This record gives sequence, C-alpha cells and structure tokens, in this order.
Amino acid sequence: MPAQVLQALVAGLLIGSVYALLAAGFSLIWGVAHVINIAHPALAVGAAYMVYALATRGVDPMASLAIVVPLFFAVGVGFHEWVIRPAARRASELALVSMVLTFGLAAALENALAAVWGPGPRVVNVSYTGVAIRLGELALPVSHVAGALLAAVTITALYLFLYKTFPGKAVRAVWQNRDGAALCGVDLRQVTSLTYGLAVASAGVAGVALTLIYSFSPASHLTWLIFVFLVVIVGGVGSLVGAVLAGMLVGAVINLAALVIPFAWVPFLLFASLGILLLWRPTGLFRR
Amino acid sequence: MSRAAVAVLVGMLLVLPWVGAREYPLALLYSTFMYAAMAVAWNIIGGFAGYLSFGHAAFFGLGGYTTGLLLVHAGLSPFLTAPVGGVVAAVFAAMTGYPCMRLRGPYFAVVTMILGLIVRALVLNFPWTGAAGGLWMPLPPWEPLAARRVFYYAMLAVFVLTVLTARAVRIGKMGVGLEAIREDEDAAQSIGVPAVRLKISALMLSAGLTGLVGGIYAYDRSYIHPDFMFDLNLSVLAVLMALLGGRQSWFGPVLGAVVVRFVDEILTIWIGTEAARIIFGLGLALVIVLLPDGLLPHLVQLRRRVPRKSAGRPVPVVRP
Repeated sequence: MPAQVLQALVAGLLIGSVYALLAAGFSLIWGVAHVINIAHPALAVGAAYMVYALATRGVDPMASLAIVVPLFFAVGVGFHEWVIRPAARRASELALVSMVLTFGLAAALENALAAVWGPGPRVVNVSYTGVAIRLGELALPVSHVAGALLAAVTITALYLFLYKTFPGKAVRAVWQNRDGAALCGVDLRQVTSLTYGLAVASAGVAGVALTLIYSFSPASHLTWLIFVFLVVIVGGVGSLVGAVLAGMLVGAVINLAALVIPFAWVPFLLFASLGILLLWRPTGLFRR
Repeated sequence: MSRAAVAVLVGMLLVLPWVGAREYPLALLYSTFMYAAMAVAWNIIGGFAGYLSFGHAAFFGLGGYTTGLLLVHAGLSPFLTAPVGGVVAAVFAAMTGYPCMRLRGPYFAVVTMILGLIVRALVLNFPWTGAAGGLWMPLPPWEPLAARRVFYYAMLAVFVLTVLTARAVRIGKMGVGLEAIREDEDAAQSIGVPAVRLKISALMLSAGLTGLVGGIYAYDRSYIHPDFMFDLNLSVLAVLMALLGGRQSWFGPVLGAVVVRFVDEILTIWIGTEAARIIFGLGLALVIVLLPDGLLPHLVQLRRRVPRKSAGRPVPVVRP
C-alpha cells in the first residue's frame, strides 16, 4: 500500500513542520539564555485559545496573526526583563531553576485557560475546514497545508534573520560564546530580550498553526512538550537546521509507525528509539 | 538538628494518633511525610550527585501500579508488596538510567522529563493497567479513623527509612564519591571514583524509595490513574521541595516539603482547586525568582549574623 505510506509520510511532514517551529523557538531560548522554557508549548496553546476566541467572533486564524505575533513578542520581552533576569541574577544553576520556574508559569497558564474555557478539547472551524487538495491518490487537507506553510514561512524568516541580518548574527554569536560576544561589544541584555521576543512570538505562530491542524485543550501542552523535547534531543540544541530536520523526522516516524504498529505502542517506540539514540549519539543526530 | 530534638520530634509523631488526632490532621501529616520522603529520595540523586531528575513521577507511578496490580490480580496486601514496587522502580531506573547518565546538566533533566511523560503515555495506552479508565482496587479493610492511623504509620515509616538511607549515603563513602561527581565528574573519574556505578546506585536507591512511597499511596487512594500517579507535577514538586529547602543535606528537602505542603493545603482550603493551582504556579515562580537557591542558605546566614549565647564554638560552615 504505497499510497497509504505516502499519505502518512506527507501528513507526518506537515505536522513535523509545526514541531520544528516550536522546537526552534525552544532551542533558541535554551541556546542563547540557558533557560529551559517548559512554558513554551503552553504559550503556544495559549495562542491557540486566543485564535479560538477570535475565530468565534469571525476572525480567520491567519488574520489573528496580526494580533498574536506582536502581543507574543511583547510577552517574550517582558518575560525576559521581569521574570528571567531577576532569577538569573540570583540563581547559581539557571537551567535547573528555569525549569521549575517556567513549569510553574505553564501550570498557572494551563489552569487559567481551564478556568475560562473548561478542560475539554476545542477546535477552530474555518471556511476551508474539511476541504482537501487531491494530488493523485494523496488527499491533503487545506487547513493542514496552511498550518504547515505558516510554520515553514516562519522558520525561513527566523533563518534569514539569524544568518543574514546584523542583529541575527549577534544572536548567534551569543549562542556560540556568551563571553566572547560580550567582549566584541554585543549588548547581551538587548540580544537576550530580542531572542525571547522572537522565540515567544514563534511559539504564538506555532499555536496558530496548531489550531489549523489539531484540536487542543489546556492540558495538551504536555503532549507538545514531549515532541519539543524529542525534537531538541534528536536535533541537538544550538542548531536551527537540526531542529527542522529533527522535527520532520519525528513527525514522519510517528505517522509511519502508527501504520504498522498498534497506536498503544507508539509511545513505546518513542521511548525505545530515544534510549537507542542516547546510547548511540548522546548529543543528537544533527549536531556539529 | 540535634539528635535529642529529632528523637523528641519522632516520639511526638509516634504518639500523635493516640492523643486525640482526628482524620484530618493525620491525613495532612501523612501527605507531608509522603512529599518529604519523595523530596529526600529525589535529593539522593538530584542533590548529592547533582543529576537533576525531572522524571521521578515515573518511579512513583511504577511503584503504585506494581502494588495495585498485585493486589487486584494476586490479592497481596500492598504493605507486603510495596517493597516489590520499590524494586520494580529501581530496576526501571537502572535500565533507563544507564543511557540517560551519559548526558549531563540540563540535557539529563530534559531527558528524564521526557521519560516521565512517555511512561505515563505507555500506561495510559496499555489495557492490562486499566489504561485511561484507571485501576480500581479492593478498599482497605479498616474504619476511616483506623485506616488513617495505619497509613499515617506506614508513611511515617517510609519517611524515616528514606531519611536514614539518605543520611547513610551522605555521611558514607558513597556520599563522598557522589559529591566528587557533582563538583567535577571528569576529575573524579580520573582519580578512580567509579562514577557510573555510583550514579546508577544513587539513582536506584532514589527510585526505589520513591516507588515505595508510590506503593503505599496507591493503596490509600484504592483507585489509581496515570493522570495523578505519573503526574509531571509530582516530578517538579520533588525538585522544588529540595530546591526550596536546600540540596546539601537530608534536612533541606524535609523543610521544603513541609513549607510546600502547608502552603498548598492552605491555598486549596481557602480558594478552591483551579484558582489555587494558578496561584500555586505563580507563587512557585515567584519563590524561584526571589530565592533560586532555596531557604536554607538564607537561614544559615541569618544564624551567622545573630551571635548565639553559646558563642565560642565555631559556627559550622555550610556551603550554600
């Protein structure tokens, strides 16, 4: 059944692009600020609920980007200035402290969403929900393609920013060597704030893409967290290209695996492949 | 704390159920012992060795599901099988710990967190664990007050066992080795510290004790579900309590557990669950922002500043 396999592969790549976008922002924060942002998928789910609230008032998810992106950029900058910086000044082990800290924020956000919209799952319906493009035997839901395209465009924009612009190069310099970058006159505080803004804004975009592909509930950020972690471990922290490749790989593997093994065993497969990966290449597949 | 103070405290806790304590205080102390035992057990690998596990809920849940399944299918009392739960958790820890221990620092923390989440997904999907419906067990055969007393003593015993184990590890040769690993693993290995063996032993001890706690807790609930037996909250709470109290001794995590447990209880009573969870999450974030290295270093500093009446003997130096 090659058609089924192809269908699963394409579906996996489409959803994989959203994993990649989430993981890119997550690993950007990890690399530049040494903060492990457990709240990253929770922020995406928060964005999804914003899209949902706007969609019930007739705003298309794509149009809601105009609100989500600037708002989430501001949230990211504020988060760095008022939450992370005070903690970083006092903490001796920022990575550990930040995991507990951002977990607390994620839990607060999850419960706030549950308090407003209830714990049940929600879906966003748009005019093109249920419409599919047919390519031979392949059927591609328009909303999935739109979500994946959105993720792909955002990742490309991030890539161009990081590799082609001066501030982007400063971000990468801090990522590679914090002290060295500071010695060359890079303003660490500004660069870190900018990174936060971009990363959280990209989480917002991922949330918008999410509403086009999946249903979501306040607790679903935990499932997304597994995928983000997997992608980052497979791709290695410190590489945007690694995150993209790993995101596609994880998406494709999960979808293809679901064809051959019962669904209940998919987590087991993830588990086993993670163990093998750690024994074989503990620093990730795509790390330089 | 001095030896006499500890003896008096344990004595008071032992007689408490017989001097008029009703169900509620017993239940509150029971859950405090549980959290404290988890935090102290976590600290064996997280504090002493510096390997920060964010997946201890997996061990807790495995212990709970072991006793639960043994009770349902073989009719064995969880008080007998809780050690089996601990062994299952320890064996699982050894199997997963071996690949994970190749990672250090935040990588280790993140991978253990994934492990915890994946184990939860596994149990949610396997029909023989009750899957998403949860697992119903026969009720414990006691009246409510008697049951509270029984579980109070059981958890107190587990807590004391955990503290004694952690203390023995800390003051023994193993503790020295773990400290060396925490400070500089490569240097420690180069002078002959068997790092892998020590790390795996510490993780197994930590996981086994956590599994034991889970086994007792499962019997008390008599209905278990992956959502709370493998709750990420539990993993993070164990870290938080150790972090809040201080990670260098067995006493820090106990202090952290008492603080966290009582704050949580007060919030739940006064505000109700959902809003309490929001406040708890934000409060947790605030505490971490203000006191990222925990309470104990500040308390020690406070003690240093205030000259004590029995001056003359040097104040013990506790590294922050």
